[in-house]
Parts: sequence; C-alpha cells; structure tokens
Amino acid sequence: MSSDSAFVRATDAVKAQLRTRLQPVWAVLCTVLAPLDRAIQPVADLYNRSLGRHFGTMTGLQFGVIALGFGMIATVPFWSPFYSETLNITFAVASIWAIFAMSWDIQSGYTGYISFGHSVLSGAAGYTIGLLILHYDPSMGPLVTIPLAVLASLVLGLVIAVPSLRLRGPYFSLITLVGVLLFTNLIFAFSEWTNGELGIHQVDPFTYEPWIRYYYMAIPMLVIAVGLTYVARSNVGMVLLTIRENERAVSSAGLDPTKFKISSFVLSSIPMGIGGALLVYYGRAINPVSFVEISNSIEIIALAVIGGMGSIIGPLFGSFLFFFLEEELLRDFIEDSSTRTLVLWLFVLGVLVFARNGVFRVVWHALGAVRGDSE
Amino acid sequence: MTLLEIDGLTKRFGGLVAVDDLSFSVESGEIVGLIGPNGSGKTTVFNCIMSTYVPTEGRIQFNGHDVTDDKTYQIVNHGLSRVSQESNPIDLLSVGANIKLFTLPNSFLACALPDAILARRSDGGPGILDHAERVGLGDKIEEKPGSLAHADVRRLEIAKALATDPDMLLLDEPFAGMNQAEIRELSEQIEQFREEGITMIVVDHNMRGLMQLVDRVVVLSSGQKLAEGEPEEIVDDEAVQEAYLAGEHGGIKR
Repeated sequence: MSSDSAFVRATDAVKAQLRTRLQPVWAVLCTVLAPLDRAIQPVADLYNRSLGRHFGTMTGLQFGVIALGFGMIATVPFWSPFYSETLNITFAVASIWAIFAMSWDIQSGYTGYISFGHSVLSGAAGYTIGLLILHYDPSMGPLVTIPLAVLASLVLGLVIAVPSLRLRGPYFSLITLVGVLLFTNLIFAFSEWTNGELGIHQVDPFTYEPWIRYYYMAIPMLVIAVGLTYVARSNVGMVLLTIRENERAVSSAGLDPTKFKISSFVLSSIPMGIGGALLVYYGRAINPVSFVEISNSIEIIALAVIGGMGSIIGPLFGSFLFFFLEEELLRDFIEDSSTRTLVLWLFVLGVLVFARNGVFRVVWHALGAVRGDSE
Repeated sequence: MTLLEIDGLTKRFGGLVAVDDLSFSVESGEIVGLIGPNGSGKTTVFNCIMSTYVPTEGRIQFNGHDVTDDKTYQIVNHGLSRVSQESNPIDLLSVGANIKLFTLPNSFLACALPDAILARRSDGGPGILDHAERVGLGDKIEEKPGSLAHADVRRLEIAKALATDPDMLLLDEPFAGMNQAEIRELSEQIEQFREEGITMIVVDHNMRGLMQLVDRVVVLSSGQKLAEGEPEEIVDDEAVQEAYLAGEHGGIKR
C-alpha cells in the first residue's frame, strides 16, 4: 500500500481530526446505548445460538438495529404515508436495486474481480421478457416468462465468465466493460425487434395496487438477501475472499480458483435475472437507458460501495440509503435533478475516500463497540 | 518406492538458464535436502514441481502420475504440498480459518454446505485443531495472523500445508529467521511428520541444521546438479566446497 502518498496522509489527518472531535459525542452515545445493548443481548443470544452459526453472530445492539431495519423494510406500506406519498415507490425501486447490488457483491465484492457490466445480466432477463411478449405471445404470464428470463441471464453469465475468468488480472473487468457496450449496441442494431431507444411497453404489471406491488419487489429481495448472506458466510465466502486477497493461496489449498470465480459469477447472474424481471414488471417497460446502459452498472457498484463491498447486507442498506437520499431527502432541499445527482456522486466519492469499507460497516462496528468490548 | 521423479528438468527465462537438465528422485519416506548457493535454482525447482512455473523441458512424475502439465491445485490434490519461503496468511481470517481453507473440498456446492455436514462427509479425518496442534499452534487458532510472532507465522504455513493431507511436503527454507531453540523444535516436528508417513524435500542454502535431519542431499549450482549423496559425503566433496567458496558462501561446514 502507498500509505505515504500525500493524498492518503491528508485523508488520514482529516479522519483523525474527525475522530477527536466526535469523541465526546461517542462517549455520550456509549453511556446511553450500553444499557440498551445489554438489555437486548439475551434476545440476540437466542439468535446467536440458533442461526448465528450460519449468518454470523451479533451483539445486542447490532441485532436490535438489524431487526429494526428488516422490520421497517417489511412494513413500508404501513408507515411510509406518514413520511411521504412517494416513499412506498422509492423503496420498491430500492428493493430491486438492492438485489442488483447484492448480486454484484457476491461476485465482485468478494472475489475482487470487479464487473463493470453487471447490467447486461439484468438486461438479458428484461429483454427476454420484452421480446417474448412482443414477438411470441402477448398473453404470456410472469410464471412462464420469469424462469426463462433467469435462464437467459444464467446463460449469458456463463458466456461472459468462462472465457474471461480463466485469466487473472484486469481482463475480466475489461471484458465486462466491452460486454455492456456491445449489448447496448446490439439493442440499437436490432431496432426492428427491440424498438431501439423507445423500448418495449407492452408488459402488464403484476398489480396496480401500490402497496401489494411493494411486496412483489421486497419479498424476493429479502429471500435473496438471506440466501446470499448464507453463501457469503459459508466456506464459499471464505474461498471467494481469499481469491481477492491472494489467489495463489487458493491454488495451494488444492482449490481451483477458476472454478470458484466462474461459479460465483453464475451464482450472481441468477438474482440479477430475477431483479431484471422484477424491474420489467415494475416499470411495465424495458429500454436500453434504464436497464442496460453502462451507467446502470456503475450505479450498482456505487450502491455496493456506499453500503460496504463484501458484506451482502451492506449493499442492501446502501441501496435503500441511496434511493432515500436521491428520491426523498435531497428532493426537499435541491430542486434541480442534475444538482441532486452531483451531490449524490460527491457522497459516493466521500464514502470511497473516508470510509472505503462502507457506511454500513462503520455503523456496524460502532454498534458492536458501545460497551467498549472491541478496539 | 519412488514417490517423486524429476527427469531432465530445464527452466529458461529468456536467455537465463535457471535450472539446467536436472534429474533426481525421492523415495517414499525419505527426507532429501536440496541445497545450493543463493541463485542456484532451488526455489525454481519447487516452482516447477508445483506448476507455479511451466518447465521449459523435462518431465515430473509424482506417485505414478505425470504432473508436469497439471495445475497447482491438481498437484496439491495428488498429495504434494509446499511451504513457501514467504508467509502469506490471509490477515482478515483467524489462524483457524486460514488452516480450514486448506481442508476444504474443491467443490463450490460442497463448500456451501454447513460445516457439520461437511465434517460428516470427510469421515472424521484430522480437524483444524489437530493440524494446529501438530505444529504447536493449538492455543492460537482464534488469533489473527497479524498478531503472531514470526516463528508462529512460519508454523501456520506448515499447518496449512499439512491440512491438505499431503504424501509429500516441499519445505522452502523452513528455518529462515528462526533462533536455535526454534530450529531444534521444528527439526523434531519434521522428524515427527516423517514418522507419520510424509516424505519431504527441504531446501536450504547451507547445511546448517540439515545435517542430522536429511537422509540424502542434492547440491545445485547454477541450475545444475553438482553432487548427490549422504550428508557426510557432501560436506567433504571438493566440487561442492568450491562452488560455495566461489559464491562467497563459506558456510557449508557446520
């Protein structure tokens, strides 16, 4: 690491300043929160003894905040009207993007092989549905189209992963980058089939009832979150993380790094397909701009970075935070949408510079340390 | 029975010949010392055996398999494991998890199974703690590698190699940076591994510490085999003396 570079020294100095300034606030928080932490501990221990083995153990406060977070996500339609009329919609969209961010994380966040083109996977699923409905049978329901859509992104995942992940180093990232550009251009090249820029609009939604629609997005998201957290906490997560830290060590352990890299990409492409299908039925349409173009891939990375790469749950909350800021909180202060986007990306940059392990991890470690047990 | 057979191994890097037509074999149950001055090609031989490098010429046979063109992980699964000169534990994982990685099956789906089921499938072979205890790390498996002393980090490297359940270990300068007491302890552990049926090649740049340990010595100089024989013969070999003096390594005698 170039720990002596001027930039790193400057940011470290700012971080140290912040830490000293916040020390009194932190001390007050600790005295307030420590009893609460102790109070919840017995409940957390129940979880730790039963499911903790598979999903990681937690302190009282960590458990409390996770339970509160998931409780709030599970009840958005009931409390969101008290905040704003649109929050319901914002969090439905955040759920879909949380699926994308978590899917990206199990592959790129864990193995360190950064994909710049994950939106081709959701795009493949989306266009499969769009093309089936437009050209094959308009009456096809989601029970038929969604499995086919997921299959399409799985196949595309294999097509990308097998040649590119055999190589070590930056080639994988470059190939995903080219892949997303290629896919975008294919949509335009076959405009008579895909309607080009206009996209396909003949998709019927799951339902017109907003609160039910929220659950159509949130429930699959929560199921995927549990599934991917389990995988990440299993030995698979350990192998993927070792690929990121030292790929040779994986070979020395008698494990084939290529096999694990390809498998993680394929595993990632399944929820990407599900998310892509949900996005089609949510927006009742599919077009290159909001599905496939590279900016979508970059946004997926941003969500994961905000929450914290390599943690699954981090990207989930990162997505909710990002969309809450973009569509709700910042909207109240900043009228102009491009200024809002600028502020958001400055926020992403800030996270990368000052908390590169993600906002979620900072909060998580703070919650775990209120009793002064760790560090 | 011959466990490892190296036949005409040559490795060239551009114009530089690092290993030149080297042949030797290792019998099952032996401890062989591979010595030579710095730059004589010892580590390159290990890199070729483990397929870190692709040999330019020659064949390598292990346990009846031609492993010359195998990938590293395949060679490990044939029963050959290496303790390299550099320590590279994963600092994010505990000592126990670092060892555990080396016990895992080479299957994505099997790795996704809970540990309890995985343990049942491997029908009660040695566990992580057993491997740690073999090198004296039994009480440190919860610690992070970053907090270990140098000798313990080296022990961890050996525990990792043992965890792959090898028939043969390649030890690359295992005594580097250790004090006399640590060298003695490690020598005893290496003897113990042999008792347990593990064949070994130990690389070192001088004979110190190897004399009592090894059955046979292969001496390398500029990538070529200079001499081969029992330790006593090698110490008195004139060609060997000369090579070391020329390389300003007077330390062949104990």
